[in-house]
Amino acid sequence: MTELHWLSATEIAKAYAERTLSPTELVRALLDRIERLQPRLHAFIRLDAEGAMEAAKTAEAELANGHVRGPLHGVPVGIKDIIDVAGLPTTGHSKILVGNIATKDAVVVSKLRASGAIVMGKLSTHEFAIGGPSFDLPFPPARNPWNPRHHPGGSSSGSGSGLASGMFPLALGTDTGGSVRNPASVCGIVGLKPTYGLVSRRGVFPLAFTLDHVGPMTRTVADNALLLDVLAGHDPLDPGSAASNARHFGALLDRGVSGLRIGFVRHFHEIDMPAHPDVTAALEDAERILQAEGAIVDTVTLPKLSEFAGINRVILCSEAWSIHAPWLRERPEDYGALARRRLLPGAFMTAGDYVGAQRRRAELIAAVNDKLRDYDVLMCASSMDPASEIEDAAETARTYPRQARAPFNVTGHPALAMMSGLSHNGLPVSVQFVGRYFEDATVLRVAAAYEKAAGWHKKRPPI
Amino acid sequence: MDPTIAALAKAAGLDKVLAKFPADIEHAAAQAMGHAEAVKYPTDPAAEPWPPMKAETAL
Repeated sequence: MTELHWLSATEIAKAYAERTLSPTELVRALLDRIERLQPRLHAFIRLDAEGAMEAAKTAEAELANGHVRGPLHGVPVGIKDIIDVAGLPTTGHSKILVGNIATKDAVVVSKLRASGAIVMGKLSTHEFAIGGPSFDLPFPPARNPWNPRHHPGGSSSGSGSGLASGMFPLALGTDTGGSVRNPASVCGIVGLKPTYGLVSRRGVFPLAFTLDHVGPMTRTVADNALLLDVLAGHDPLDPGSAASNARHFGALLDRGVSGLRIGFVRHFHEIDMPAHPDVTAALEDAERILQAEGAIVDTVTLPKLSEFAGINRVILCSEAWSIHAPWLRERPEDYGALARRRLLPGAFMTAGDYVGAQRRRAELIAAVNDKLRDYDVLMCASSMDPASEIEDAAETARTYPRQARAPFNVTGHPALAMMSGLSHNGLPVSVQFVGRYFEDATVLRVAAAYEKAAGWHKKRPPI
Repeated sequence: MDPTIAALAKAAGLDKVLAKFPADIEHAAAQAMGHAEAVKYPTDPAAEPWPPMKAETAL
């Protein structure tokens, strides 16, 4: 049998059904692993060992009585620390919110609990999902299990680090400029930014209202679909929530890609922002694998990455400033240097900049929709480089913005990043798949076919 | 520091930041200008920004 800490949620549910594993046995094994690895990886800000064991005992009793709450009954999950879990602090990894105890669960946490999931605790993030990796915050930054000298991406950094190191099989992240997909890319896991509005954001500390998404992070594509099934659904009290009937996100996972049309956005990593050779080679391999599986792959062109990035930043900075202005005015010293520097530009944006960016945004959305009329899915780079050393601030500052994720925060299309290989120095590199609105299931279908054919999900970090 | 940037910072209520972290103010102003310059504005005067974000169900 697979070691307990590497079991997927799907395998855990099967083992519970077959009575070969119990929730307390699993949670105890994971807590032991967390105790061993946390001092090196810092994935958790707040581990709730007591709450997790209590929930495991309850799940065990319920399962023994044949009462299955849902598909995640007894399955452990980690929660990014900008998402409210009742009774635990939501700090946003910031001194500003130390001691901020959540009084109720975020909608996504309520849904997880309703399906029986066990909340293990709150996970490291970049400060307010924007400032990091940083060493001047109340908690240390998470590190990359593939090599703890390197960063694990962000801002959902603890989610990526904890999944890749086998601390839990499922995690929640958030994504405003790529923050689910960055850790997925550099930690070798699977991260989906769903269609904008598919998953409620109520109870999640906002960064930028029209760009924010909550997304499932997992080690396998099947688990990602399973987690999205639980999270998705209309929330009339989230102004960005969509009234969509999209469901059963794993329904197409076994269909393969034969006959699917995939548009490969090469200019992102070849011209707009030339990628590291290891990233380029892995993307070429991914193309060959998908073609061998029967997909039709053509090169397509979108607007330049720099324009998507500029629009993402104007909108993000403007909206984030409207949230953080009071604290930035009164408590600037309580922010870490990176968050302060990344949030302050909003003070210098004009109303015209913001409205102009929103007007141009509509044109960029139309350009992506136009390509998705001819293609079922787009593929492109995610990160242009493997993760840099976390203490090399200059290299991290150089490589962090070198990414092709922000375009799909601007447009709201579902976008998934996953491992596509290992760099020459043993760090994960990645590929990204993008789909039509509310066709997240098709994105997962392509990802599942690629995962099965490529097999990178079987690789484990040497930790 | 450019007096215009200092004036804009004060107008935004950032006196404390200006006093404690003046380099952050200069950096932020430069960043804001760079981000805004990267945006090509629509040439069609009728191009509307509304709704600011909504995923449509049909293409």
